[in-house]
Amino acid sequence: MWQVYKKELLELVRDRKTLFFVIALPLVIFPVIFALMGGVMASAQLEEEKKIHRYVIVGAQYAPEFAEDLFYHKSFEQVESTLSEASQLDEAQLIAEIKQGAFDMVIIIPAEYVEQQQNNSRSYWRVIFNDASLSDRLYGRISALVNKHSTAQRKAKLAAIGLSDEQQAGVINPITLVKVDTADTRENLGEKVGGFIPYLLIPLCLVGAVYPAIDLGAGEKERGTLETLLLTPVPRTMLVLGKFAAILTTSLLSALLTVSSMGFWAFIMGSMLDLTPVKMAFGSIGAFDLGLIFALLLPLACIFASVVLAISIYARSFKEAQNYMAPLNILTFLPIAMALVPGISLNSTTAMVPVMNVALAIKEIVKGTVDYQQVALIFLSQAVLAVVVIGFSIRWFNKESVLFR
Amino acid sequence: MIEVAQLAKRFKLAKSFKLSDAEKSDPRLYDGHFHSVVDVSFGCDKGEVLGLLGPNGAGKTTTLRMLSTALSPDNGAIVVGGIDVIKKPLLARKKIGFLSGSTGLYGRLSARENVEYFGRLHGMGEVELKDKVDELFELLDIHGFANRRAENLSTGMKQKTSIARAVVHNPEVVVLDEPTTGLDIMATQTVMQFIQGLKAAGTPVIFSTHHLEEVQLLCDKVCIIDQGKDCFNGTIETLLASSGANNLNQAFLNVLSSSITPTLEQDIKEQRQDVASL
Repeated sequence: MWQVYKKELLELVRDRKTLFFVIALPLVIFPVIFALMGGVMASAQLEEEKKIHRYVIVGAQYAPEFAEDLFYHKSFEQVESTLSEASQLDEAQLIAEIKQGAFDMVIIIPAEYVEQQQNNSRSYWRVIFNDASLSDRLYGRISALVNKHSTAQRKAKLAAIGLSDEQQAGVINPITLVKVDTADTRENLGEKVGGFIPYLLIPLCLVGAVYPAIDLGAGEKERGTLETLLLTPVPRTMLVLGKFAAILTTSLLSALLTVSSMGFWAFIMGSMLDLTPVKMAFGSIGAFDLGLIFALLLPLACIFASVVLAISIYARSFKEAQNYMAPLNILTFLPIAMALVPGISLNSTTAMVPVMNVALAIKEIVKGTVDYQQVALIFLSQAVLAVVVIGFSIRWFNKESVLFR
Repeated sequence: MIEVAQLAKRFKLAKSFKLSDAEKSDPRLYDGHFHSVVDVSFGCDKGEVLGLLGPNGAGKTTTLRMLSTALSPDNGAIVVGGIDVIKKPLLARKKIGFLSGSTGLYGRLSARENVEYFGRLHGMGEVELKDKVDELFELLDIHGFANRRAENLSTGMKQKTSIARAVVHNPEVVVLDEPTTGLDIMATQTVMQFIQGLKAAGTPVIFSTHHLEEVQLLCDKVCIIDQGKDCFNGTIETLLASSGANNLNQAFLNVLSSSITPTLEQDIKEQRQDVASL
């Protein structure tokens, strides 16, 4: 078995595709992708910050303070239009001009605004713009300005009837709910991000196992080396276990390298940004917790390695094996997604559901609320399943109808 | 040294398996199975070379796969060097060296690593292995490309490496399945010389081929198989004499034309009874 394991690893290390999937992908590609995504997003955000919205205001004379604020705002630029008088308002033409790019927005202040203010009745201002092309930023900016103006009006009116600032706050919000959270920072953050960590770790265990498994099973058939291997005086159980151990190694290595790589880049980014609460929360996750997460991944990686090996042994060719393994991604993601559903928690029933149990346990570990009895149950159920699937692989490796399909 | 008696092997046909018209008319197809080998017997002693002949689909490869322990027979017996191959396959594998034209090498391992890997799987010690590999590489002129990856070797180089791999564990018997198929003249020459060397060393060799000139040159005995059944067993001289031909090609064709025997159907019926009694 040891000879088979050593040889399989040597071959995998010399294979560019395996090196790419197991080492390059986690170490280089993911950080590069994240950096590129971050760069593109930052650039887009900067571009959006710099963007100046050209506007037409209708009825500016009814709210001169607001019109002045808007005029001097760095993100807005007034455009003259013949339609800027309420009496000449043709909304259809305004929309057409926005579509043609003559300006980005029209804000319409009704002629009744002054009278509405005097009667303490509500006034409805309309803003016309293309919500799809400029997203919420334009609307957010104009909303902020209108709110500022609205607040000033309200304060002035409440002050006029003799209410202090504190009394005004009481009138506006008679009851304020004060939240006292019993969950600490770690539990809070764990609940929010803990469920996403399995999304990264578990599929990587699978990705790290799939390609080597195809190479060591169907690949051997396709290259014509399997038959020669079967004619050596090594029991087939040992041959399967040697191959299984090699696949397990690449699977765990892939997950380990990814986490290390992500940790490294998170550290670099964290030192550049102020992420104190995140640092504090993750700082409370000890070495024991990290060890427990990897220990939970071990039996799961065993299950993955034996399943993909069994499929690969059954397949006649590399391509056939790839086709058979495609649905595994969905079968893996589904239980991880289920673990994110609110209300689903780790208990003696969910501890028996493969993949979902590990996803739930990792979340609990990150939160710091894990029940070690449930973890033991997960270990047991995973180990039993792993042994069953390995046994199945061995059985297939002894079947002529599978080997010589 | 090698005794094969009444070998039989059948394969279950999947429902989705589509048969050609020719395959549908094959009498070996019944009961949802293809009876690849119905009844094959032969023997090969020390220093003898036995040629296994027959048309495509006759059952030669299945017979040799059973002999090499890759497949288990449904019926019959195989004894190699006193070991029952069916009952003790692990022990028998140490005594058999198998080479096929269709078997490959590990492309990402060098020629030396390929041969050493199989030596280790056969339980050879490092010192013994190194000496044997050096000896074989000298004999087969492999030293020049010993450390080159197999994926970068020519067909002839690959075949030389495959030969070394097949015999690195000093097998008592060598089985070769169409070892010269697809090879150029030089590579074929290497295989032929290798077989002659084994014969000279007293190692029994069984090989299947479609090239009768190779049989003429190397074989002491031939076994001709047709439709899963041996229809001739004996020396080349006997084959020529009994078939009334003056060359091996004609003798081979004569045997095949007379082998469409009424006994085949009888054999199949007996086989059915054997299977039913299981």
